[in-house]
Amino acid sequence: MEIYLPIAEMSVQWIVILGMGLGVGFLSGLFGVGGGFLLTPLLVFYGIPSGVAVATTLSHITASSISGALAQWKKRAIDFKMAGVMLAGGMVGTGVGVWLFAIMRRAGQMDLVVSLTYVPMLGIIGGIMLRESLRTLRARRTGNAPVRIHPVNHVWIHGLPLKARFRQSRLYISIIPPIVIGFLVGAMSAIMGVGGGFIIIPAMIYLLRMPTNVVIGTSLVQIIGVAIVTTLLQATSNYAVDIVLAAILVVGGVVGAQFGVRAGAKLRGEQIRFLLALLVLAVALRLLWGLVVRPADFYSIGGS
Amino acid sequence: MRRALLFAFVLFASPAAAEQLVSGVSQDLIQITSTYKGSDIVVFGAIEGPPAGEPRTPRDIVVVVRGPESDITVRRRDRVAGVWINHDAAKLSGMPAYYFLASSRPLKAIAPQNALTHYSIGLQNLQPDTVHSHHDYEPFRQAALRHLTKDKLYTETGGVEFLSETLFRAHVPVPAGVARGQYKVEVYLFRDGEVQSAQSTPLFIDQTGLERRLYNFAHNQPFGYGLAAVAMAVIMGWISSLLFRRPT
Repeated sequence: MEIYLPIAEMSVQWIVILGMGLGVGFLSGLFGVGGGFLLTPLLVFYGIPSGVAVATTLSHITASSISGALAQWKKRAIDFKMAGVMLAGGMVGTGVGVWLFAIMRRAGQMDLVVSLTYVPMLGIIGGIMLRESLRTLRARRTGNAPVRIHPVNHVWIHGLPLKARFRQSRLYISIIPPIVIGFLVGAMSAIMGVGGGFIIIPAMIYLLRMPTNVVIGTSLVQIIGVAIVTTLLQATSNYAVDIVLAAILVVGGVVGAQFGVRAGAKLRGEQIRFLLALLVLAVALRLLWGLVVRPADFYSIGGS
Repeated sequence: MRRALLFAFVLFASPAAAEQLVSGVSQDLIQITSTYKGSDIVVFGAIEGPPAGEPRTPRDIVVVVRGPESDITVRRRDRVAGVWINHDAAKLSGMPAYYFLASSRPLKAIAPQNALTHYSIGLQNLQPDTVHSHHDYEPFRQAALRHLTKDKLYTETGGVEFLSETLFRAHVPVPAGVARGQYKVEVYLFRDGEVQSAQSTPLFIDQTGLERRLYNFAHNQPFGYGLAAVAMAVIMGWISSLLFRRPT
């Protein structure tokens, strides 16, 4: 069954796209990540133009993050003030990201940028997670206490001006670090088509030292904000959002996520992290392969 | 509109010969819908007024369908610091987005090279109007021909069938990935390497229905379109959290 995508201007097998949405939704429910970092490369492998893939994945991220944020909101586990401050930086970052995106697309380097940013990022994150999860798995087998990563004490962060009180996070810190983190994640979101949860969550825990119980809800609010703004900017400046593609992905994604959450309840944290690490590294290797292997055809058509 | 187009056959070559072409197209409008998987059109025609009693030399029919002119950017990958990146590029302007050719015999047997070049008949005789490139553009042009042929957007076949002495037809496949716009269906009658008669008929390919409206919406009111995409995602996310409410 084929369906024609009006913006990508191509016909796709909608079952395949729905399957991708389901699969990535399942993984995002299982691992508690947005899944943009998997969905964008998958769409590109299928043949969707990188630009459309990056811009459209954000709809998928919005839908699955809303679902998660509503659950966190009921538990009152969201620091809206912190999310607002990060989002202020995120909006600016998004604007810069969309602008860079347009420049790179004109220069025909979109695929290169997607690959070059994904390979090191996925490689590093996958590597760290693999090491940590293997160490925990081994520690559990030998009966030792699991290794804990201690947050580093960043004295310089506490020396920054413009301090504000974040009651929900029980913090009194400068608003500069959250704004900078928000800016970076916003820019990344626009360029790479990811929500950025895998950057914000460690940054909140290890840099800002927010309590773990508000981290997930707060990061989801920031991600939703950035994803919405990026979708609007991509739609107005690059005409790259394909609403038909988005609808199929979103339906698959929200259903898949529910099954993922259920499956995740049966696994232990370090087992989940081990599997996710393997997945992340596999995506990184696949992208690296495309970069370093001699292409079958040196010429390609595209862009304008 | 449609009937007017149907009769808008334009005669753009009228040599003194007695032979005339009459040709038609099975469709003058192709609408791309959400389930469009590509289609076939039929170009058919007849040769009128064959010379009686004259010595018979071979007559040939060439059917050419050209898509709207487009800019084709071809990039070449080069190895830079161990990584294959798009390095050199050539922008070929004025190449058709779609090109189909069917002939009753191999082109070389039908007409001399200068005639084929003049009418830009044959893939190898397609030249861009202008080129933006720092290098010799020929390898880029060859790459464009190769890629577009692989995507079935450029085709050169021998698929003109003669149903009788004077009746002929050709099947023209229109794949799913074609550009929207005005196409030209050209039929040439060759004898002794010269064009005796030719006809050109317009063919329109357009998106229709929901796809057309979405495309227009996205380009005319991009902000509203973006809001619609966001609203769709937000509502779906909200509905899913209601449908799959988990006991907490």
